Amino acid sequence: MSRKVKDQLCNMLIWLSAAFSVGILVLVVGFIFSKGWSKISLDFLFNDYESKTQYVTLESDQAYQAPASLSESALFSENLGVALELKEDHYEIVWMDKESPLKEATNNADEKVKISKGDCVQQIKVSGKSLKLDKKTDQEEIVKALNENNTLVMKVMSVGGGIFPMIVSTLLLVLVALLFSAPIGILAAIYLVEYAKPGKLVNVIRFATEILAGIPSVVYGLFGMLMFVNTLNLGMSILAGGLTLTILLLPTMMRTTEEALKVVPMSYREASYGLGANKIQTLSKVVLPSAIPGILVGVILSIGRIIGESAALLFTIGTFAKLPVNPESGNFSLLETGTSLTVRAYIEVKESGNVEMAAAIGIIILIVVFTLNLFSRLIAKKFSKANN
Amino acid sequence: MKPKFSVSDLNLFYGNFQALHQINIEIPSNQVTALIGPSGCGKSTFLRTLNRMNDLVDTAKITGNIQLDGENIYSDIDVMKLRTRVGMVFQKPNPFPMSIYDNIAYGPRCQGVKDKQRLNQIVEDSLRGAALWDEVKDRLNKSAMGLSGGQQQRLCIARAIAMEPEVILMDEPTSALDPIATKKVEELMEQLKKKYTIVIVTHSMQQAARISDKTAFFLMGELIEFDDTNKVFTNPQDKRTEDYITGRFG
Repeated sequence: MSRKVKDQLCNMLIWLSAAFSVGILVLVVGFIFSKGWSKISLDFLFNDYESKTQYVTLESDQAYQAPASLSESALFSENLGVALELKEDHYEIVWMDKESPLKEATNNADEKVKISKGDCVQQIKVSGKSLKLDKKTDQEEIVKALNENNTLVMKVMSVGGGIFPMIVSTLLLVLVALLFSAPIGILAAIYLVEYAKPGKLVNVIRFATEILAGIPSVVYGLFGMLMFVNTLNLGMSILAGGLTLTILLLPTMMRTTEEALKVVPMSYREASYGLGANKIQTLSKVVLPSAIPGILVGVILSIGRIIGESAALLFTIGTFAKLPVNPESGNFSLLETGTSLTVRAYIEVKESGNVEMAAAIGIIILIVVFTLNLFSRLIAKKFSKANN
Repeated sequence: MKPKFSVSDLNLFYGNFQALHQINIEIPSNQVTALIGPSGCGKSTFLRTLNRMNDLVDTAKITGNIQLDGENIYSDIDVMKLRTRVGMVFQKPNPFPMSIYDNIAYGPRCQGVKDKQRLNQIVEDSLRGAALWDEVKDRLNKSAMGLSGGQQQRLCIARAIAMEPEVILMDEPTSALDPIATKKVEELMEQLKKKYTIVIVTHSMQQAARISDKTAFFLMGELIEFDDTNKVFTNPQDKRTEDYITGRFG
């Protein structure tokens, strides 16, 4: 009897623990999705973070047809092929012709400006007059101003609130970090497994990598700041962040590659040597091809790690939600500061209490990491099938 | 007849453990030499010294002299070159996870043969030589892992002959095969000995009696007896050999 009770108690404890952990997981994911889901849209992914107001010059050379689907309250300009609609207290672009002059708009500095649906028109300057657009403005006057002349200037505010800059920065980080950590980690693992004679040195290296893998990432962040940002003078930049992540990833990369190399049967190597192949041939033609799926799984999991990392980046890439673009030349540059998705999520909550934004970023990260994990599992499965 | 291999005063150590003691043997060419003995007696270890496979074991240390056609294999011949002259077939069939064609072409390619026509010829000749051609000629580009165990082992033999070696070492080549596949491999050996010197390690005394011309009996790292197979099995000189082949131990 007492044994039965003990058994049941144990079972209950085990069951409860399992249920608890699953419950917590569901709770966290559920919370993030409920907070952030409403924000997720294509605009959220592809819009700039900051809203930007600028004056654009438009030149019209033809008349445009209004679309049939246009709502009655929208104001249509034949001159520009564009429809505006009053939303609360501002006029928003709700429709644009494919060949509308707005697609060719330029700002004061004669640079091309991308105007898209949802952008907000605040002011129109035409024939020396200026017309401010808000809910008090007479609608007929607006239409008249829009169609009055072939050349006009518009004050346009683009919508912000998107995470496009962070997505670009994160992708660049992945690129930089993998570019350095994958070859170094893989070659180091090859040395350990295939070349190094078992002994003190190898043990020391293994021990060191294990320790490295256990160091909290904020310590790597501090090191990265001192080493790359200050000493090497890279400044807060994608490159500094990428290099910091490289160090952070090295142990994992080495470990996964080592495991992948170790499961390549010794008999493959023996067969290769037995046929008069040398070490490099054996490695490149037999061992590495067999280990590649395992190595790939390591690389994919590393990508997940990069995307999820925040502490190591906080001090090394910076927190500005901007594209890593050189302001003068307008080109992408690894020496520019930017910020990753996770760091931005942290800053959003810390600086403006914007939990929705952070949660929305969280959703994006969750989806990406989930996909990556799925992908790595698929590869691992295929690999184990091929080996049997 | 001049011996293919002549081994004198060979000692082999794994760390502090001495696996081979003072081996002296002369292996004749174009014959099948069988190495028999109980597990752990050093016969496989001895076989692997003949193409220096023991070099892969970090702790292995060797003293003594092994000559292949009068050349010392540890000093006169480059190890890669040696292994092209002395091919090896292992206990478990170990084809590479590549196509049948690539498996056979692997060795020649490593030696720098690139000519497609020549590779095709080598692949066909080797597969014919291993009596496998008719079974696989229609699926040369399929993975070798899809072959049966016996076919895989013959593929490994074909892969060894692709290097046109002088000697083929076989380490219990049929122990992982069923009787029918074993028979095929044994028939193959009969064919091969016309062209190659064969040294085979086997657990099966029947196999040794069936296929070999010479038999060497190893015990505890020592070569106890080496003579014509007939003589070893019918009239052994050493009491221990007799005990072993009559099944009193081992």
